[in-house]
Amino acid sequence: PVMAAAQAEAGTARSVTAEPAGPAMGDVRPVSPAMGERGAAGPAVDGPEGEAGTATVAEEPPAPPALPGLRLVQQGAEAHVYRGLFLGRAAVAKLRVPKRYRHPALEERLSRRRMAQEARSLLRCRRAGIPAPAVYFVDYVTNSIYLEDIVDSITVQDHIYSVQKSGDDTSGLHKLAEKMGELLARMHDEDIIHGDLTTANLLLRPPMEKLDLVVIDFGLSFISGLPEDKGVDLYVLEKAFISTHPDTETMFQALLKTYAATSKKSGPVIKKLDEVRLRGRKRSMIG
Amino acid sequence: MERTHRLELFPDHSVTLLLFQHVKNAAALRKKAMEGSIDGALINPAMIVDPFQILVAANKAVHLQKIGKMKTRTLNAEIIFSLSPSNNISDAFKKFGISDSDTAVLIVLVMDGDKTVNLADIASQVEGQQVSLDELPQLTDTAKVEKMYKVTPQEENIGTLVDSVVCRMSTKDVL
Repeated sequence: PVMAAAQAEAGTARSVTAEPAGPAMGDVRPVSPAMGERGAAGPAVDGPEGEAGTATVAEEPPAPPALPGLRLVQQGAEAHVYRGLFLGRAAVAKLRVPKRYRHPALEERLSRRRMAQEARSLLRCRRAGIPAPAVYFVDYVTNSIYLEDIVDSITVQDHIYSVQKSGDDTSGLHKLAEKMGELLARMHDEDIIHGDLTTANLLLRPPMEKLDLVVIDFGLSFISGLPEDKGVDLYVLEKAFISTHPDTETMFQALLKTYAATSKKSGPVIKKLDEVRLRGRKRSMIG
Repeated sequence: MERTHRLELFPDHSVTLLLFQHVKNAAALRKKAMEGSIDGALINPAMIVDPFQILVAANKAVHLQKIGKMKTRTLNAEIIFSLSPSNNISDAFKKFGISDSDTAVLIVLVMDGDKTVNLADIASQVEGQQVSLDELPQLTDTAKVEKMYKVTPQEENIGTLVDSVVCRMSTKDVL
């Protein structure tokens, strides 16, 4: 079963998605028992990583870093994500999972590139004033990265779930969508393509009413000025949105509207988005 | 007074910071550090925003030493180099190391398992007054730091100055 993030940690938990394998956001996320790993104990699940489960080669999970208060947050296919104290600060450690089925030279290069892209995009975001975690340490040997932990945050995904469940405050969601559109417009104006936009990769800092958003997980990001790439970035988010959160079409529309209003280069991007939508999967051309 | 922190990723190593004001013998201290009679990194506190900045530099330096990939020749030099946003070693020393006319000095000592350093011994060599690390913010030249690290005004809204600084330090060699 897919290793869910620490959903068991009451409500205020943050689901940090490690690099997932494609747009798998439609899955139901089972609530697993708390993955609290105190001290330097390794992850409870050994053997193949929690993905499709058909891996024939047993993947050695990377040894967890010896950080005080260490907790395994998520065991993704690409990386194990931990939370702990690093040099006195709340930090997130992303340790890449080596893929033994890959040729070692390729593996090394790919791993290095992904990590470099993540670090580069994070720095680029920060320089432009786009809220993203600060980078504390990059380890080129194990291809791990230590980042700022946005403490007490929740994912936009969890926030939408709880709002929809409690049944009120739909106007708040509208505002949230506008904020998201604004943030993405600014990011795309810096030519930063996130590569894995989902509601689980957007965090809300407390207090929630302030709608203080932070973008995370730039492992699949890259720099591009092409409207096509930006359009696809938005398309991925749209798909993730609608499949994970029912009845949110109007919300996404509000997001796009603000995006178009905020970004100076939005015209061609929206056009491309429409094109990509027509192109999308399972679009039968047979009458 | 001084502050010590253990490096989580390198458990045998700990970092101690000592801060001195009204220092009269900066020139002599600098010479001693270069000769190696003081086994520590002597840093200009005006360029330091928060002890965390030093810890990040020390962590990186120790990491590079362990894998044999230091850019400089000694661990202490590497700490100073890690603080700098540039890849020019002498520039790093000029900006982050102490100069003969400085009156405030931050001494960083990295100790590992077998090596013990006598703090009182080090402190006695400084002709100045040792003060608590809490005094550091008063010694920081914020404008100079912002200029040195090229911190943009937009960054103020998303984090503290030390966040911006540390980000640049850690991603310096990624590009």
